[in-house]
Amino acid sequence: MAIFNIKKREIECKIVYYGPGRCGKTTNLEYIFKAYKKQVEGEMVSVNTEGDRTLFFDFLPIGLGKIKGCEVKIQLYTVPGQVQYSSTRKLVLRGVDGVIFVADSLEVRREKNMISLKDLQQNLKEYGISLFKIPLVIQHNKRDLAEQGFPLMSIEQMERDLNRQLKVPSFPASAFTGQGVGATLKECMKLTLKSLQKEMQIG
Amino acid sequence: MNIVENIKALLKEAGLYHSMGLLSEAMGKYKKAVEMIEDNEQLKSRTNLIDGISKKINLLEKDMHKVEAAADKPEVSAKVQDLIKKLFTVAEDKNQDAVALDGAIALAKFGQHERALLEFKELLAKDSVRVVAAKNIIRCHMANTSVDAAVDQYEQWLSSDLFVPGELNKLRFFLESLMKKEGVEKKLLPAETPAATPEPTIEMPEVEEAEIAVLEIEEDEDHDDEVLDINSIGITLDSGPRKGDIVELDVSFQSGNVISLLITHTDTDLIELFSVGETLHNIQFYSSIAMFGGSGIVDTKTHIESGPRRGDYSIDLKVVGT
Ligand SMILES: Nc1nc2c(ncn2[C@@H]2O[C@H](COP(=O)(O)OP(=O)(O)O)[C@@H](O)[C@H]2O)c(=O)[nH]1
Ligand SMILES: [Mg+2]
Repeated sequence: MAIFNIKKREIECKIVYYGPGRCGKTTNLEYIFKAYKKQVEGEMVSVNTEGDRTLFFDFLPIGLGKIKGCEVKIQLYTVPGQVQYSSTRKLVLRGVDGVIFVADSLEVRREKNMISLKDLQQNLKEYGISLFKIPLVIQHNKRDLAEQGFPLMSIEQMERDLNRQLKVPSFPASAFTGQGVGATLKECMKLTLKSLQKEMQIG
Repeated sequence: MNIVENIKALLKEAGLYHSMGLLSEAMGKYKKAVEMIEDNEQLKSRTNLIDGISKKINLLEKDMHKVEAAADKPEVSAKVQDLIKKLFTVAEDKNQDAVALDGAIALAKFGQHERALLEFKELLAKDSVRVVAAKNIIRCHMANTSVDAAVDQYEQWLSSDLFVPGELNKLRFFLESLMKKEGVEKKLLPAETPAATPEPTIEMPEVEEAEIAVLEIEEDEDHDDEVLDINSIGITLDSGPRKGDIVELDVSFQSGNVISLLITHTDTDLIELFSVGETLHNIQFYSSIAMFGGSGIVDTKTHIESGPRRGDYSIDLKVVGT
């Protein structure tokens, strides 16, 4: 639920990075924090636990400047991946406007990707939001590992696993090198703002 | 690939997974490597290899234990707590107390019980949020301290004049139902003059459960914890002779995001309006701390067969998209 401040001519929306544990959500945000300094408004906050795992969320506010005379601000969040943090994931999703689903390309994480996507669908449903309707982008992360000969799934297989029904834009990426990170976020912002614009016209 | 290369690849994978925090995947690869070595007697320096892997497995096990031992929701720094409040407070009410209450609830939801308790206690001084704050204090004690602490707190309120008897009974029901959930069967002292509850309770034997639904702060997947305690709703009639009128209906019962409404049998317009499966838009929901617009899906419609409301209808409405 984006917040429109008509007086200040400001829009604030929320994009959440979702995905199984250790798939690279926090690394995405860290890269954005470093690479898009100009757009970053404030500090990146990470609430971590043992072994650098995300405990509650990461948070990074960015600003896109004026679009059609309106100041656009975006809050980026990540969720914790571990199974036991289900209630936290749901809290972080509250009021979400757009989702980036980060999938892990490692073969060994195939099933975890699918479980996490289902979990996303379930949690959105509890807020009355359909996975098929929310602005959503899929990122196939950790592609850099192919060069070192690690067993990755092919993009085709990942698309079959995760995107066969959804048919949303998807990007190969490496949050580690930064490749594809910006493209993923930009596409999601585009979809999110488009959908908000539609909503405003109706509402 | 020959065996040696196979084993090397497995160890390389295991190392990567360990460094990424994919601990059970790393363990799987190490174990597979050990198996392969054990199965191939022709390999040179097998014991050395296995010893080396055992050391790595030990380190990995240590990390696994650390992760397991980490508290689920530890207290975080005041700075992060402030941020949680700022980011996860939803009430945009002009009512300062409602906003403060919402902030404290956000803290409790993230397991920051100690600070949440302090803030709820301060809110006991505010008329408009006192009972909700008290319920959350009970919840915090149950989640963080102990059942005894929650009971002590209730008894302390019982002997103070902070709450009227009706409110005390609400709190007692609330605490008793929480204890029941925890498997603690304990009857609490009631307030001196039990207040008559205005709502009809006869058709709803599980009425106490309704209290559980109020502002959930626990990790309970089944409850939609985002819905406030709704007192009544307003519906605009969009057809019939009373078209355009707003009808206000009291909520007789609430469980999570499902509210129950009673409709008198003479109110045929309304009875027709609520058909099962139908989504009703433009509903106003009134809670004690906020009013919000939204939609509801008609879940069930039951004709009441006995009791003082015989002949009337009981409607379960699922609150969606507020
Ligand atoms: N090689 C490689 N490593 C990555 C990539 N993305 C994340 N990682 C590593 O995977 C681990 C988990 O990443 P993190 O961002 O914490 O995952 P999160 O649980 O989704 O937030 C860390 O060790 C990262 O360095 C990537 O694209 N390539
Ligand atoms: Mg993380």
